[in-house]
Amino acid sequence: MTAEPMTVALRRTPRWRKIFNTVLSYVLLLAIAVFVLLPIVWGLDISLKQEGEYSANPIKWLPRVPHWINYVHVFTYQAFLKHARNSVVLSVVFSALTVITSSMSGFAFSRIPVPGREKLFRVVIALIIIPYLVTVIPQFMLFSRLKLTNTYWPWVLWGLSASPFHIFLFRQFFSAIPRELEDAAEVDGASPFRIFWQIFLPNAKPALATSFILNFIWVWGDYLTPILYLNDRITTLAVKLQSAYSDPHGNTLVTVVIAASVLYTLPLIVMFFLAQKHILQGVVTSGLKG
Amino acid sequence: MAVESAVQKSLEVPQTTKRRWHLSRSNRKALWFYFFQSPWLLGIIFLTIIPIVGGLVISMTNYDGINLATTKFVGLKNYLRMLDDKQGILAFMRTLVFVSINVPLGMFLSFSLALVLNQSVRGRGVFRTVYYLPTLVPIVAVAWIFKLFLASKNGPLNGFIGLFRPGTEIVWIGQANALATVTSMAMWMTFGTGMVIFLAGLQGIPPELEEAAVVDGANRFQVFRNVTIPLMTPVIFFQLVLSLIYTFQELLRPVLLWSSRGMEGTPSKPVYMMMIHVYREIFTFGRFGYGTAVLWFNFIVMMGLALLVFWSQKYWVYYTEAVEGKKE
Repeated sequence: MTAEPMTVALRRTPRWRKIFNTVLSYVLLLAIAVFVLLPIVWGLDISLKQEGEYSANPIKWLPRVPHWINYVHVFTYQAFLKHARNSVVLSVVFSALTVITSSMSGFAFSRIPVPGREKLFRVVIALIIIPYLVTVIPQFMLFSRLKLTNTYWPWVLWGLSASPFHIFLFRQFFSAIPRELEDAAEVDGASPFRIFWQIFLPNAKPALATSFILNFIWVWGDYLTPILYLNDRITTLAVKLQSAYSDPHGNTLVTVVIAASVLYTLPLIVMFFLAQKHILQGVVTSGLKG
Repeated sequence: MAVESAVQKSLEVPQTTKRRWHLSRSNRKALWFYFFQSPWLLGIIFLTIIPIVGGLVISMTNYDGINLATTKFVGLKNYLRMLDDKQGILAFMRTLVFVSINVPLGMFLSFSLALVLNQSVRGRGVFRTVYYLPTLVPIVAVAWIFKLFLASKNGPLNGFIGLFRPGTEIVWIGQANALATVTSMAMWMTFGTGMVIFLAGLQGIPPELEEAAVVDGANRFQVFRNVTIPLMTPVIFFQLVLSLIYTFQELLRPVLLWSSRGMEGTPSKPVYMMMIHVYREIFTFGRFGYGTAVLWFNFIVMMGLALLVFWSQKYWVYYTEAVEGKKE
């Protein structure tokens, strides 16, 4: 069935056209790859240069000897580890809570049929388009009135309130789990919460990991909320990195800042490569925008 | 509504244990359903609805962020004031310009790359990974790299141009090139996500459909125009809505590029956009009332645009049933 139309397609395109198209595709793909990788590679390059080499005129493309000491300065010039810890705490707390609450909601949407469920689910979809800043700024006024600024409580509350994208992701994932699994448990009289906790969650490890990592990436990279909510002492790496590495005259220590940026980005890249397939699948399912 | 009253009923029931067992099955289900939804529903009420409505209230006062005692209700005064806010009006216009450049460009870039990758290219996985990488790099790190990469003196981009035109010192992060610079940075950071989503959509198209069109004598362009595009419209639609909303809120990229410390930077005019204006009105000048009014105005514009796209769906978005119907 499928073989025949394929030969038709082959006959219709001359050989030279095919080769030409292939070459054109690769040229385009490689050009974009260069556009994407150039800033990253250049960042790695500059993180190994000496301050003088960086500002040399005419430009020097490669460091004469790799200047690894920049990576040591990252830790000695600033309390990098302290702020890294703050970032880890916020990201982990937020992500863990969001994963639990979103999976609860996704479970109910996929497995507990009640009247009005589809309508409520449409509300979830509609919420995806509520602009982020429209809620963030008034929320800040609210939280500062409640004296919750300069604490990590807002992240706990945000985490507890789940996320439409991830509700969507879990609903899709749970809908693919066969019914037989829970039918037996239901006959035995297990409550929906036990079914959720003991059957669905253990079977949803890929979705849990994906959701956790996507949330982690978001909080780890978030700049706006920590700079609004947190003071200098308890703030995250994102905020610290933007202004911390400078000499007494206020000039930025370029090579150290870039080395710090490399270390700051590395955990996300590692996480991504550990679960690449699931993450890309999750991005596709939820339509989540990076 | 019916559900809510059902929940109410089931909440009242446990007075008599006998009746509970009679009513329960459907009511208990509803109770469990809302138990599972409760964190999310409470979040919606307290962290979305209340702040948004609260923002509307604040936008009608002269709140300065500190004193509630001197805060007065001023009605629509803040909204009328926008008409005299030259900087604000210009910022709004520039936002529209930025959106109408960035949204189509981003969609085009990610869609065409997805198309290229959807052919049988070798190393598709590698390219997809490489293109997705920038979306992982946090915005602060990207801002640093771009700032230095584009530096007018000693920046490698000017250094590279300098190989052909010695002494090049183009000011990329300045008035003249601001729009191009911020657009490139935005593209660099975001096209990977769209591409991954479009690619998955393309791979979900059943090959039989395209093959059938070829058998019927369609050429490559006709297949693309009459089979691929219609089947992709739901994905295009969803990406269009999201990217409209996100692009309208452009804030951090210009601020971080133009700032050396915190949120203090004032971007050059072409990229001084609406949300930057809102941020500065509220947090730099402490005009919370006026700032939230501008924010609300933008909220309405954004929702209007989103609704417009939603409404236009019936003219150009084909859902699977419709396509299946056509096939027969």
